[in-house]
Amino acid sequence: MKFQVNRDVFSEAVSFAVKLLPQRTTLPILSGVLIETTETGLRLSSFDYEVSAQTEIDASVDTPGTILVSGRLLADIASRLPNAPVEFSTEESRISVRCGSANFTLLSMPVEEYPTLPQVSEQSGLLPADAFSDAVSQVAVAASRDDVTPVITGVQLEVSNTTLSLVATDRYRVAVREIDWDSGDRDFSEGVTALVPARTLQEIGKTFGHSGTISVAITNTDDREIIAFSADRKTVTSLLIKGNFPPVKRLFPDEVDNYAVMNTAELVESVRRVALVLEREAALRFTFSIDGLTLEAIGSEQAQASETIDAHLHGGDMVVSLKPQFLLDGLGAVHSEFVRISFTRTENPNKPGPVLITSQSSKDQPGADSYKYLLQPNLLLR
Amino acid sequence: MSKQDGSQRQVSAPTVDSSTSPILHVDLDAFFASVELLDRPELAAHPVVVAHDSPRSVVTAANYPARRFGVRSAMPLSQAKRLCPSAVVLEPHFEKYRHYSRQVMAIFDDMTPLVERLGIDEAFLDVSGAGRVLGSPGEIAQRIRERVRAETGLACSVGAASTKFVAKLASGRAKPDGLLVIPAAETLRFLHPLPVSALWGVGAATEKALERHALHTIGDIAASPRSALERSLGAALGAKLHDLANGIDHRQVTPERVEKSIGHEMTFSTDVRDDDQLRRELLRLSNRVGERLRRGGLEAGTVALKVRYADFTTISRSHRLATPSDLGRTIYTEARALLDALGEHPPVRLIGVRAEQLAAAGGAPLALWETEPGWRDAERTVDGVAQRFGLDSLRPASLLSSPRGERLRED
Repeated sequence: MKFQVNRDVFSEAVSFAVKLLPQRTTLPILSGVLIETTETGLRLSSFDYEVSAQTEIDASVDTPGTILVSGRLLADIASRLPNAPVEFSTEESRISVRCGSANFTLLSMPVEEYPTLPQVSEQSGLLPADAFSDAVSQVAVAASRDDVTPVITGVQLEVSNTTLSLVATDRYRVAVREIDWDSGDRDFSEGVTALVPARTLQEIGKTFGHSGTISVAITNTDDREIIAFSADRKTVTSLLIKGNFPPVKRLFPDEVDNYAVMNTAELVESVRRVALVLEREAALRFTFSIDGLTLEAIGSEQAQASETIDAHLHGGDMVVSLKPQFLLDGLGAVHSEFVRISFTRTENPNKPGPVLITSQSSKDQPGADSYKYLLQPNLLLR
Repeated sequence: MSKQDGSQRQVSAPTVDSSTSPILHVDLDAFFASVELLDRPELAAHPVVVAHDSPRSVVTAANYPARRFGVRSAMPLSQAKRLCPSAVVLEPHFEKYRHYSRQVMAIFDDMTPLVERLGIDEAFLDVSGAGRVLGSPGEIAQRIRERVRAETGLACSVGAASTKFVAKLASGRAKPDGLLVIPAAETLRFLHPLPVSALWGVGAATEKALERHALHTIGDIAASPRSALERSLGAALGAKLHDLANGIDHRQVTPERVEKSIGHEMTFSTDVRDDDQLRRELLRLSNRVGERLRRGGLEAGTVALKVRYADFTTISRSHRLATPSDLGRTIYTEARALLDALGEHPPVRLIGVRAEQLAAAGGAPLALWETEPGWRDAERTVDGVAQRFGLDSLRPASLLSSPRGERLRED
């Protein structure tokens, strides 16, 4: 095999291909990137039986062939190559890489042992890339990171004919957002769901953020449910998580008339400041009144802190105890200058009602997006 | 150190000046055996061994008559029976020991707020502040011994000294049922003839190292140059032993060490291959840990599993909980996942569960919904039943058939 390729194009393609590879794998061969020549250039692939990434780039091919090299090593090399055309050539299992004054010799892993990537032909629908990327970053913060409960380590995608809704939860908060979805002439009025690992979806969101339109396919072959995202000659597939996502959407209240509106940045700053004296895992106390919002941290015996900021309260006074990181995750996700915190009623006297965080474009005007972040307060101690 | 059978017993005359010995070490004599004998007073003069009577059992405790035959705690029961064929074997009753322990510790608490509990049957007391009200340390020690006997029927031995480690040595020498006061001025005269193994921190290896340098008694160590000890034993240990040998021990009596972890473990009478049986045992141990967490108002941040195989290889695995918990159910789920992750394994001799990174309960965030509604209530109810009717009176169905006698040793 022999080919020449543009250094930046190649480097970008390799970094895309290795991004989703696991840090450690039980099978060394899965840490490789497969490079195949095509009629117009190269195809780079990686696959660990759960997630696959594939991209095609232009290159000038002298002799066709296929090689399999260590992904991380190749990515490190590609990112440090001098600014010159890159030339690959092979001699038996030795791969020589020449770029300007630099020369590398790498060993190819056995290509024939590499698994076949899942092929997804049919298309289910189209997504606006920027809105999707935005929605993923807003929702995935609420996904659980605890592998003991695999179902909630995913983001639930729910497709109808015109909308895609994203839902994630870790049992302490729930984040939801809807975006536009173009299903073409296919009928999704029955609704289709796909539970995608949150980590994978976050990488997909970042990768395709500026790609215009993303094509999505959800398929079920050989009892393996797979979702594929494609744009810009790049495709990422992921196995879906099996299991039933908890029916968390019904936790959201229909209507809340008791709420407060704050400046988002001001509240974030204040939470970070006051939380400094808290012990790990401890909660901040938030008192909403006509005079504003008072944050109090009663931390250890050594240190305490409090601060009062502007807040526009609608309805009665309210005191809630919230874990600062959980609140900050929601505040960081509303992407709006102001934020509304609404207080839901509760039937259970032993458990405070959850608070709902939504965007607010001004003091009086709710935000235009559909993002909702529901957070369960702690018990009020003392 | 001492021979544990009381043959080297040494006690103080009532006239000795105890004003310079405000640190007391109180140790209940042959505690488990003595508690069992409260119900069988006719056996008091007889050799008695406390142990589960099963093939792989070890001696949990022995009374003094049995110790004279060479029987010791942690010795295999079969060996104990060979040494002392006439010994009567009594089943242990850990609930009773806990009950008496609490009673005795309450007596200590009446004497001074500075009580440092060491396990179930011993404690350090600093009575330097109690002198004006209750009398000299020697008088207080005598009063403790009288109250313990009057209120529980048990005997204890007390060492009084100016430092913790000398007080502990003194109580060991006073056993059984004695009081030994070491006035500050007498400390070195008491210490120096003792063998090096009596020093805190001297185990078999260190003892050998010391012997190579012809250091046999504590006096030999005290007479050695500090620098030489530091060279041969390492700086930290060398300096520490030199201090101790010269009667210097700066450790204070610190009341109520905060519990760092809560664990239960279990040695099987025969090695276990069956994973279902291991899981059942894990469930039982996890529930026990959960119960203790709730009683202490604590929640575990991490769950650790310990497995010892037949060849004594010991494996420890731990996992951090997404949110702290005091539920036996949650601890079991984690411990079981850790066990399952071991995959194929040799037969198991011992299995244990430990709750670590403990924090006060109630700090954890509430969930929007309960994954297993009612579990907390269920476990609280079990706690209540156990308090009234004893441990294990209410237990999971999967544990109904587990023969209680199969248990060997637990701590």
